[in-house]
Amino acid sequence: MLLDSYDTEDLFDEMFDGGREVRPHYQLLRERLDTMSREELDQKIKNLETLFIRQGITFTVYGDQRGTERVFPFDPIPRIIPADEWQIIEDGLVQRITALNLFLYDVYHERKILRDKVIPEEVVLSAAHYRPEFVDVDVPRDIYIHICGTDLIRDRDGSYLVLEDNGRCPSGVSYVLENRMAMKRVFPNLFGSAGVRSVDSYAADLLGTLQYIAPHAKPDPVCVLLTPGHYNSAYFEHSFLARQMGIEIVEGRDLIVVDGYVYMRTTRGLLQVDVIYRRIDDDFLDPKVFRKDSMLGVPGLVEAVQRGNVALANAIGTGVADDKVTYAYVEKMIKYYLDQDPILKQVPTFLAWDEKDRGYILDHLPELVVKAANESGGYGMLIGPKASKEEIEKFRQLIIANPRNYIAQPVVYFSRHPTLTDGTVEGRHVDLRPFVLSGERTHILPGGLTRVALKKGSIVVNSSQGGGSKDTWVLHPPRK
Amino acid sequence: MLSRVADNLYWMARSIERAENLARLMQASTELLLDSETLGSRYLNDYWDPILIATAMEEHFRELYPNGTAADVGPFVTLNEENPHSITMCLRDARESARTVRDQISDEMWTELNDLFLFITSRATNSLFQRAPQNVYDRIIQGSLLFHGITDATLARTEGWQFIQLGKYLERADKTSRFLDIRVHGGPDGTSLDSIQWTSILRSASAFGTYRIEVGGEPTAEGVIDLLVFSMDFPRSIRFCVREIDHLLHRISGSPAGTYCNTAEREAGRLLATLNFNGNGEILERGLHDYMDDVQKVLNTIGQSIFETYVLLPQDQLRLTFIPSSEQQQLRWQVLQQQQQQQ
Repeated sequence: MLLDSYDTEDLFDEMFDGGREVRPHYQLLRERLDTMSREELDQKIKNLETLFIRQGITFTVYGDQRGTERVFPFDPIPRIIPADEWQIIEDGLVQRITALNLFLYDVYHERKILRDKVIPEEVVLSAAHYRPEFVDVDVPRDIYIHICGTDLIRDRDGSYLVLEDNGRCPSGVSYVLENRMAMKRVFPNLFGSAGVRSVDSYAADLLGTLQYIAPHAKPDPVCVLLTPGHYNSAYFEHSFLARQMGIEIVEGRDLIVVDGYVYMRTTRGLLQVDVIYRRIDDDFLDPKVFRKDSMLGVPGLVEAVQRGNVALANAIGTGVADDKVTYAYVEKMIKYYLDQDPILKQVPTFLAWDEKDRGYILDHLPELVVKAANESGGYGMLIGPKASKEEIEKFRQLIIANPRNYIAQPVVYFSRHPTLTDGTVEGRHVDLRPFVLSGERTHILPGGLTRVALKKGSIVVNSSQGGGSKDTWVLHPPRK
Repeated sequence: MLSRVADNLYWMARSIERAENLARLMQASTELLLDSETLGSRYLNDYWDPILIATAMEEHFRELYPNGTAADVGPFVTLNEENPHSITMCLRDARESARTVRDQISDEMWTELNDLFLFITSRATNSLFQRAPQNVYDRIIQGSLLFHGITDATLARTEGWQFIQLGKYLERADKTSRFLDIRVHGGPDGTSLDSIQWTSILRSASAFGTYRIEVGGEPTAEGVIDLLVFSMDFPRSIRFCVREIDHLLHRISGSPAGTYCNTAEREAGRLLATLNFNGNGEILERGLHDYMDDVQKVLNTIGQSIFETYVLLPQDQLRLTFIPSSEQQQLRWQVLQQQQQQQ
């Protein structure tokens, strides 16, 4: 039996409790796994990989001359979340996204929260992604972050903590949908009567969200997905989502701005575009306003947005809300705007920007995780307990040179999950990225991307750094 | 439909059709060589030159293999990734084009094309090619035919389909005309070829079986020209392809048959009329090479005009504040920007 020699090593494990008993919501899975031999499982995994390669479900590894495409490693043992736990996550995420959107509106309008000194003004105004061009510009329905991917981890006692909010161009949702498709095809008998909630509605909900923000509430708006191009690591996802929604996937050169309106070039001439789901960073959107050397953008796009002739999802300037320094204040935001206690806690954060915190950080580097405020993908990060002396010194200098750009957190304990390794099943650290859509109402995809650090002991789950993923099952509430 | 999408669909189809035709040409030529062992080594060395010329690869070949021999031609045309026109590179182009328009084609089309690409770039194929090149060519031909068949069975007959067909037929007409030309290149006409060589040309165009049924007897210049240039029914004849092109162009623009609203339509209509009213007499009188040369020129004009009419971006979009100095730098810069980290 695959799980017989499994050892939780006294860490919080998703499948087994402290007494090494299987948790109730994993019972059925365990029984099904026990009926499978290792050979059978290996064969199925091979089938899965062939399926992914044939369908081109791959991401591109950068820094590789030939632009090698790799399959995002997939672990077939699903992560299961019971209905009551999911309810807490869902409530917490709705609360959080509501506060973040109110915060963004406030920052770009009255700035009440800054005037009331709940958040220091300089933190916001010095954020790399703060966009003064959008002060006093209204965006449709006052929504800034329409698509958010919030990373959650579990503390030692199993409570969910927010690790970061990704409110610019979060990626990964296509893997959620493809993983589910693959699991159904290769492990149909694992599902059985497990009562797993479907993830099929995501594309329809996303399209609904985009249509909701059409300028002047235009009926039947033309929506497009703007991609940096097929060299981008997430290109597969861009084309996958466009196909699922039945909208065009466009590159910057397919769009043109005439008299403040955006059009796409078609074989039949120009066609007006109302909503753009953009997967390009602010910096590259419009060479007339942001980076002059951008070859991906559309000259004049920002003006079209400012004039309210086209809507962007996510809006320009949301990076100020998912800045890792701003992160430290989200709990205060929730209190300030909603007068509620945060449902989901977050990781204690020290700000190098603050003199007292900085002193603490510099004194405790070997114990802390240091992160650059605006990086993603697991880059620009120091994991103190695992770093060499040289790396620690390098970060010390970086922090001193540019304190605004760094934060530090105590090492957090990701939960572990049984994961197939060469020859056996072992515990590997996992996180969870649920996807939140804010439109007419807030949709949370029941599931999300469970990323797993495949290297033993590692807590870096990013695909670019040796991470894989699991199908994530959110269960229907048990029938009364 | 987005102009860029139309362009990519067109080139996807052209590239895969090109790979298929190259594979068939190589297959037929290798077989012909086996029948011609008595011809002597001088002939052997000259044997591949016309093939390299007809496929526009001669210059690259001399560059990569300054002392190249007949044995180098097969790997060069088939698998070499430094030869931008090799079969592998055609399939790479086809797949890249397909990748950028995946949302517009069926899953089955993508999977087949991706499979074929994974096959041609695999290490196993490399060693298979050393042992049994014919098996590799078989797989390429089969893959392309399968792709076209899947397209036929799974794709709606909308504009995208029309651009795919345009790419396919333009490439096919061009290649048929080049195959006819290969053995007569440099000679005064086609009459001096023997029936073995005509057979090889027929095989290159997958037409040998049809020839036996429709014409019969030992292949002759007149018979081959009738089938490969003028047949109304054989799907690889030039006339058949041009008729399809003419029809597709009118479907796309909506202008009535017999009229034209752009250069592509005018040139296609004119070429079709010529083919409708000419016969093998005109070709043999003028010389096969000259006649085919003219056909290829018109096909090029049609391709160019399709691009100008439906794809070309107005100049204003290209006016950037930042202009990279060389094309290579531009490409590198673009790749770098596209690779921005996603959250």
